[in-house]
Amino acid sequence: MNEGLVVAVRSIIGFFSLLIFTRIIGKEQISQLTFFDYVLGITIGSIAASLTTDLSSRAWPHWIGLLSWAALGYLMELITLKWRYAAKYLEGEPTIVIMKGKIMEKSLKKMKYRTSDIMALLRNKGVFDLNEVDFAIIEPNGQISVLKKPEHLPLTPKDMNIKVMPTGISTELIYDGIIIEENLAQLNKDKAWLMKEINKQGIKDPSEVFLATLNPAGKLYIDKYDDHIKKIIDIGDYKGPY
Amino acid sequence: MRKFMVISIPIFAIAIFIFIMQNGSFLKYSLGEGEDIPQIIEEIIQNISKDHWEEANNKTNELKKTWNKIVSRIQFSSERDEINSFTASIARLEGAILAQDKSSAFMELKEALEHWRNLGR
Repeated sequence: MNEGLVVAVRSIIGFFSLLIFTRIIGKEQISQLTFFDYVLGITIGSIAASLTTDLSSRAWPHWIGLLSWAALGYLMELITLKWRYAAKYLEGEPTIVIMKGKIMEKSLKKMKYRTSDIMALLRNKGVFDLNEVDFAIIEPNGQISVLKKPEHLPLTPKDMNIKVMPTGISTELIYDGIIIEENLAQLNKDKAWLMKEINKQGIKDPSEVFLATLNPAGKLYIDKYDDHIKKIIDIGDYKGPY
Repeated sequence: MRKFMVISIPIFAIAIFIFIMQNGSFLKYSLGEGEDIPQIIEEIIQNISKDHWEEANNKTNELKKTWNKIVSRIQFSSERDEINSFTASIARLEGAILAQDKSSAFMELKEALEHWRNLGR
């Protein structure tokens, strides 16, 4: 019995099973995970680890454990999607901890949050003075959402009646020296137009360009391979191994 | 086509994984000539019962060779403990045959048969 080979084969089984199951369970971001999702992830990972290295038992029961946990996770997801009543219990719900500038002590106690936890979460959101807060809500994932009092909200162009250019998502026209013709066609532009535009910036060939994008306002962003920057600013504060 | 690939590749992969994890229950049986472990064990019991120690020794060597072949097939689907226990039973059987100790030999053979039955279950 070649134990190394067995572990390698079991690793492949564990790795891809985990990949397939997690894709089926959902594509939530880590930051959106509730505490239960987090524990679920750890348990499934732990089962996959023992599937890989615990040769004293067969891979099959571990794999069935992995499948069962993933299936239950998926079931919970389906229930919370279809049944709002259950979702409230299973996923939790947002809780108001500061209302009209007043801290809701009972809610804090119920959620087992200390005032210092709330202060830390507020500081993470850039709020250092409680006077600025109108509403603060703890979301089911533990993050805080803050609504500042109107007098502390940032000024917007609308407040000043300033006309602004429409914004939108830029489209890539050249990536890694290669022109993306589908995107050009989508924007009703052609290669000749692009060449003219890059020629204006002193570029003779698209292969000199690392990235070129066009925003809806019609402004072209071009980054060349040759950046002419001799010394890159080092933002590290400690001289490590490299 | 893309949707078909996205669905069919994971299903195909999972089917292969299940086959690898479950194939021990049938790969432990004879695939070729003379790979029948229960049959060899039965022959050794017969030989020992009739005090044919030389023949029993030859059959034990055959059992060892066959076992080594089968281990390479079932290693991905069986637990290491059962495999090791079967190997240890063969080693003890060799000692019992050397000492011409009938009761120990029978004990080891029956234990080995039980380990073989438990493989892949």
